Amino acid sequence: MSITAERNSTERNNADNASNSGEYLTFVLGDESYGLEILKVQEIRGYDAVTKIANTPDFIKGVVNLRGLIVPIVDLRIKFNLGKVVYDEFTVVIILNLHGRVVGIVVDGVSDVMNLQQSQVRAVPDIVASIDTKYITGLATVEDKMFILVEIEQLMNSEEMALIDSVAVH
Amino acid sequence: MTIDMSQFYEVFFDEAEELLAEAERLLLGINIDDPDIEELNAIFRAAHSIKGGAATFGFMDMTEITHVLENLLDKIRKSELALTAEHVDAFLAAKDVLKMMVDGHRLATEVDQDQVADVKMQLNALSDKSGDKSVLVLSVPVAATPAPVTTPVMAEPVAAAPVAATPPAPLNEPLAALDENGLRHFSIEFAEVSEKDVANLQEELGLLGTVDSAKHSNGRYLFTLSTDSTPADIISICSFVVDTDSLVIRNMQTAEAPVVATPLVEAPVAAASAANAPASTLANTHGKVEIHEEVGYGLFAMPGEDNVEEGYGFFAPFTPHPDAVVTQLIGDDTPAATPVEAVETTAAATPVVSTEKVNLGRRETDKPPAGTETTSIRVGIEKVDQLINLVGELVITQAMIEQRSSTLDPVLYEKLINSISLLTRNTRDLQESVMSIRMMPMDFVFSRFPRMVRDLAGKLNKKVEFVTVGATTELDKGLIERIVDPLTHLVRNSVDHGIETPAQRKAAGKDEQGKLTLAASHKGGSIVIEVTDDGAGLNREKLLAKAAKNGLPVSENMTDTEVYALIFAPGFSTAEVVTDVSGRGVGMDVVKRNITAMGGTVEIRSALGYGTTISIALPLTLAILDGMSVSLGENTYVVPLNLIVETMQPRMEDIKTVTNEGLMVHVRGEYLPIIPLYALFKQDTEITHPTEGVLVIIEAEGKKSALFVDTLVGQQQVVIKSLETNFKKIQGVSGATIMGDGSVALILDIPAVIKMGSSNKTQGALQ
Repeated sequence: MSITAERNSTERNNADNASNSGEYLTFVLGDESYGLEILKVQEIRGYDAVTKIANTPDFIKGVVNLRGLIVPIVDLRIKFNLGKVVYDEFTVVIILNLHGRVVGIVVDGVSDVMNLQQSQVRAVPDIVASIDTKYITGLATVEDKMFILVEIEQLMNSEEMALIDSVAVH
Repeated sequence: MTIDMSQFYEVFFDEAEELLAEAERLLLGINIDDPDIEELNAIFRAAHSIKGGAATFGFMDMTEITHVLENLLDKIRKSELALTAEHVDAFLAAKDVLKMMVDGHRLATEVDQDQVADVKMQLNALSDKSGDKSVLVLSVPVAATPAPVTTPVMAEPVAAAPVAATPPAPLNEPLAALDENGLRHFSIEFAEVSEKDVANLQEELGLLGTVDSAKHSNGRYLFTLSTDSTPADIISICSFVVDTDSLVIRNMQTAEAPVVATPLVEAPVAAASAANAPASTLANTHGKVEIHEEVGYGLFAMPGEDNVEEGYGFFAPFTPHPDAVVTQLIGDDTPAATPVEAVETTAAATPVVSTEKVNLGRRETDKPPAGTETTSIRVGIEKVDQLINLVGELVITQAMIEQRSSTLDPVLYEKLINSISLLTRNTRDLQESVMSIRMMPMDFVFSRFPRMVRDLAGKLNKKVEFVTVGATTELDKGLIERIVDPLTHLVRNSVDHGIETPAQRKAAGKDEQGKLTLAASHKGGSIVIEVTDDGAGLNREKLLAKAAKNGLPVSENMTDTEVYALIFAPGFSTAEVVTDVSGRGVGMDVVKRNITAMGGTVEIRSALGYGTTISIALPLTLAILDGMSVSLGENTYVVPLNLIVETMQPRMEDIKTVTNEGLMVHVRGEYLPIIPLYALFKQDTEITHPTEGVLVIIEAEGKKSALFVDTLVGQQQVVIKSLETNFKKIQGVSGATIMGDGSVALILDIPAVIKMGSSNKTQGALQ
């Protein structure tokens, strides 16, 4: 096992113990189903007109006014090259509250809230994916369907998401 | 067992600063010949509160100064000493030293120990001048305080070292002598607590030394402790288990049997006199009886306790011992202050036990009537900002409802529409009151100037009458804090350069006393602050000559306003003599820069021989910006209005290029670079040639540029919101705002845009 994989698996083990069982919000990106901790979700809303921001990557759609807060919107479909990038009345934005920082993510659709037991969660094998496996805490199987559990806070704070000043990345 | 006190430091510093400012204000306003007793009490209270706080947090240097100050003040307010101008000066000097110490602790700035010693000596000297016999007795220990006790900062409030280091004045030695083993003996008495707590306490105290415990018949517990620690240590340990109000600690002479030996001089007498005579009569007597009053007071202060009487009985049979010293904590009605007092009497370097106690005894009467203290509350600024944000949202929502209801049939929906208009009115009122929370009266700034003017005038031998107008005018707190420095500079300038010496004034046929006016008023959406003096006025010829000498571009036909504005040029001073007050020529440019940074403007009006007015106009709040919205493609951007010089639609022949790039516009003889916003922000728009759109001429940091946008939308006030709260800093954007329709518009950071425009190669070629 490579060093990286080992590090990943330790991280996953830590996560396993702490947080892998619990309630997850599942959403769809292209043909894949993902899950994120429901406690990180503030609300779910439709896609509104965003104000584009200059000189930012194209997956950062811009900012919206969420009851007086200026909230950046990230389109995960563009970021991970999944699904069709269309904006209509069915486009869903999940508003995340990551320790006070509010960020919106655009996904293809929100499917369910699931209660996952630790026994249902499997470790992630070493694969090459556009989401770095270090942001995936595990794979869950429910009725033959696979859900990819994402550590959304770390992902959103990562440098590649370009959502925060790089000096602030920890 | 220790609590990290540092988390409370900020509160103490804030409070100390407020108290100092208040004391200064009162001192300046006091009538020396006939001082108002209430004012003296207020000053005394301020000094006392600072002392208490300082002792709690272990700032012994501050405790010492306030202590001496307090002694002197106490004599004055008791009419033992007549108030003189000398006293006021000494008090003001003490205030300065305390401020310096607060800064020293807070910002780690240097504290001038010489000055501290000077002030202390001055206060002590004044204190000693009193001829009153009893006062003389009381003040001896003060004078006896050795100079080296100005130890800068004591880390631990309970540090016993200074006490031990003080040459003991036999009658006032604060701690019982150590016995042959280097131990002190204390008896600790407290009200009934659970058995478990007693066991805990015994264990804790056991860490300090040997403990014996006994349950007293009346339910109180009595511990005897032999230790080398100070009473303050004991208190700090006990306070976790027992209510400090009910805690009594006594030193015991080692030679005598532990319990019976408690050598209280005052107790029996106090018991007798306190029981027989009202405390008020005691207050007017001197010397020993006053000391009794304190003990008596302590007993009176806990009328609710059943065992008071028994406590008496317990003390009563003791024989007075001349060397006795009491470290006594008897229910003071302010629990927080109680340990403070204890710390002072034991650990403070000045062995003035008796005076100290008199002061303690006075606390009750110092308190203003209930209700006067709670007229304001301290609230974190972020809470207020959150409230303001929420109300801002409410206003937008309300506007939305109003707009949507406007299409309804007014006959069918009459009641709904009435309710909505009521909602509209209430929302507006609410918004107004919430916005006013952040507002503070200008008095906050103005109040610091009387002192400064007084000192300056004294230093320069000038007579200046200082007048403030419109001190109740309110301004945003953020601005209030930032206007202080520029205003200080302007006031100083006016006293130094503006107002002439009495002789000059007399020669010019003016009143010897000059007049300096500081005025604040509202004018439209801004607040105007004016510094006016009736001095010599600005000399146009002198300014021009000086400017020419400094190599500034001047000509004879400049307007007065332009000439006066020269004093804002860096390094410009017409003062012939550089004094330590002003005249170095640094400052006015800083003043101007600070005010511009706040979004304000400065203007000078002057008449030679009659005086000068410097007028500052500031926006009411920092949170709101006067902006020009411009559109670019489907987005709207806001340009701060104060940075816009003009807007224009250029003609084809005004657009010039260099090497077919570097787009420029020719405006009134100047060639300005064109910064196409669409290229800078990579935004799609159909308007790509300057002649089709609008050029907004912007100026920042002395550089002018022409910002090329699609159209102008309109001028409006916008509420500034930070992008960084949830996102990150975007180059060229200083913030965002929410427009009337709920959409987000970005506010341009003009200095950054100009920089980007000149560094990025965005000045696209003509297409």
